[in-house]
Amino acid sequence: MTTNTAGNAAAADGTRQAGPTGGTSVSLQNLSRSFGTIRALDGLSLEIAPGELVALLGPSGCGKTTALRIVAGFESADTGLVLVDGKDISSVSAARRDMGMVFQSYSLFPNMNTLDNVAFGLRMRKQGSAQRRKRAGELLDMVGLAEQAQQYPHQLSGGQQQRVALARALAIEPRVLLLDEPLSALDAKVRLQLREQIRTLQQQLGTTTLFVTHDQEEALSMADRVGVMRQGRLEQIAAPDVLYDDPATVFVAEFVGAMNRIPAELQASVNPRTVAVLASTVPVKDQEAPENQNESGVGGDGPVDVLVRPEGLTMQVVENGNGIVTHRTFLGSVTRVRVMLSGDVAVQIDKPSSEAAALAPGTSVSVTLPPEPVLIAPRRPVTP
Amino acid sequence: MATVARQGGLGGKVPPQDQGASGGRPPGPTQPRRHSFAVWRWAILLITGVFFLIPLYAGLRFAGLKAFGKVFTYPGFGSAVGLSLRLAVITTILTLVLMVPTTVYVHLRLPQIRRSMEGITILPIVIPPIVLIIGVLKVAPGFLLGTPYLLALVYVILAMPFAYRSLDAGLRAFDLKTMVEASNSLGAGWPTTLWRVVLPNIRTAMLSATVLTVALVLGEFTMASLALYVTFPVWIVQFEQNAGPVTTAASLLALFVTWILLMLIVTVGGRSARKRGGAQVSLFTVAAPAESSQTMGEPE
Repeated sequence: MTTNTAGNAAAADGTRQAGPTGGTSVSLQNLSRSFGTIRALDGLSLEIAPGELVALLGPSGCGKTTALRIVAGFESADTGLVLVDGKDISSVSAARRDMGMVFQSYSLFPNMNTLDNVAFGLRMRKQGSAQRRKRAGELLDMVGLAEQAQQYPHQLSGGQQQRVALARALAIEPRVLLLDEPLSALDAKVRLQLREQIRTLQQQLGTTTLFVTHDQEEALSMADRVGVMRQGRLEQIAAPDVLYDDPATVFVAEFVGAMNRIPAELQASVNPRTVAVLASTVPVKDQEAPENQNESGVGGDGPVDVLVRPEGLTMQVVENGNGIVTHRTFLGSVTRVRVMLSGDVAVQIDKPSSEAAALAPGTSVSVTLPPEPVLIAPRRPVTP
Repeated sequence: MATVARQGGLGGKVPPQDQGASGGRPPGPTQPRRHSFAVWRWAILLITGVFFLIPLYAGLRFAGLKAFGKVFTYPGFGSAVGLSLRLAVITTILTLVLMVPTTVYVHLRLPQIRRSMEGITILPIVIPPIVLIIGVLKVAPGFLLGTPYLLALVYVILAMPFAYRSLDAGLRAFDLKTMVEASNSLGAGWPTTLWRVVLPNIRTAMLSATVLTVALVLGEFTMASLALYVTFPVWIVQFEQNAGPVTTAASLLALFVTWILLMLIVTVGGRSARKRGGAQVSLFTVAAPAESSQTMGEPE
């Protein structure tokens, strides 16, 4: 398996060693942080290669923003280390870390125009007026806002403000770029444009980047690797396609993308293990899911759920099949068809839209599972 | 007048862009109610205006225009005004030096005590003046005892409710925490962040606090009278017995000067705020610009 769980170096799993030479490596080692009784980080470890863009993805409260703020120097870890190019920066103040940050909320200084905002970091670095204006102008040009140089933040749209914030963060040539859900306040179209722009700039400049988001589409489309967090820990970190196709845990499988749960019977006594599902027997994937190993019903023979993506199921129109089409959702090139299987189990199946016309609600279909290895999870009560 | 609910302020105006969906809603059946509300509003404004203007007019009639010329030549006028102005300057400086860092600190590090701070800062209004005077005498440094500048310490306390509210409203009008963090991440230390990022963005609030403090000092009578110092208001009362028209003219002058100061703050501060899209400041309230007070998503 090519997935890379928490704490493994980027180099170890063969993922991209990104960016031009001379980038900065970042290493989070066993970070823990509690706020009162809430444990925001619980031994988080993460390695970011020079020039790499790593996204931290997870539900609200999983600790991803806390991790980013610890790297930025706005929070301190209770235990653990933050290493940048191998040096511990835990005791270095935020102002001296040389990290550019783009915030979730609009963070431009309202009292300065666009050019002065971008030049602010250069001013702090004692660059001369002409030099910093030139550099700020270049950065504004890079984000396509050269004409707005003299405008104040309130005269810019949300997308423009975040582009200026990006230019401001990049102007100081940061060792690490930190992005704290910078697109979450923007509308869908602007978000799409800006994420492409961020990715392009990041690749051009080769800046090591840590990107926090709860939007999986954003994470999967932008990052070299995506780390999925839960309860202060990294469940899995891997390239987007690996994360989607080969999730290491049930949580990752269900958090990233759509996933069906189909009741099945595990036959653990055979080697390799198999499950009986939808009138066929399919092999079980090797799983690194600690959650599964200790729960009854998964370790030995017995009821489990098979996890399979909507595109992983096949469906044919037949008389007296094992399911009835209940709903169709047009998604462009594909149509997602909801099928009620016997036993009140609802599944979603993706079909090319050109073939979905025949699948009107009420149509009897036969749903089958190809003989590929599947992921299993402890049986959960059925919710039709 | 619409109020900015999220600020819990004292009735700040909502900028047009902040009115969101409701701003574009057709009037429909609510139109007649709005109309009657507007009539009532004008009626109340008129009654209040008459209530305030008639005494001023009466004072003006009583004093006569010649009395205004005599004010400046009366004995004690120069020293009383001079003392009041010196006290105003000292009080304003002390108030800003004490209250700006305190309010910024509370907003950044102790937001949970903001409500308590509001309660504490209002105490000078409810505590009797004699108690405040005795309290200040107990803690005042020795070199101030026996000098009129002791009054500045009392005035700092008296100005606290107004100064705190102005500054609090100013700080609430922009995302202080994010601004400070953005500044830090770009390499600015605390003094630079305060000087280049925080203070420019609460400039109008500071100006507002300044004018309120100055107005309070120039008009305060009780404390100065209790402490036996002849400030401008005390001088007016002393001369009232034998030079009524002149002291009335002096009172009116003081009122007009203070009023002009207040108008200046609203005009200059408002123009500056509009230019930079910052907070729209009236004397007691600061309405947030639409974009700056947004915090999107929950912290983790």
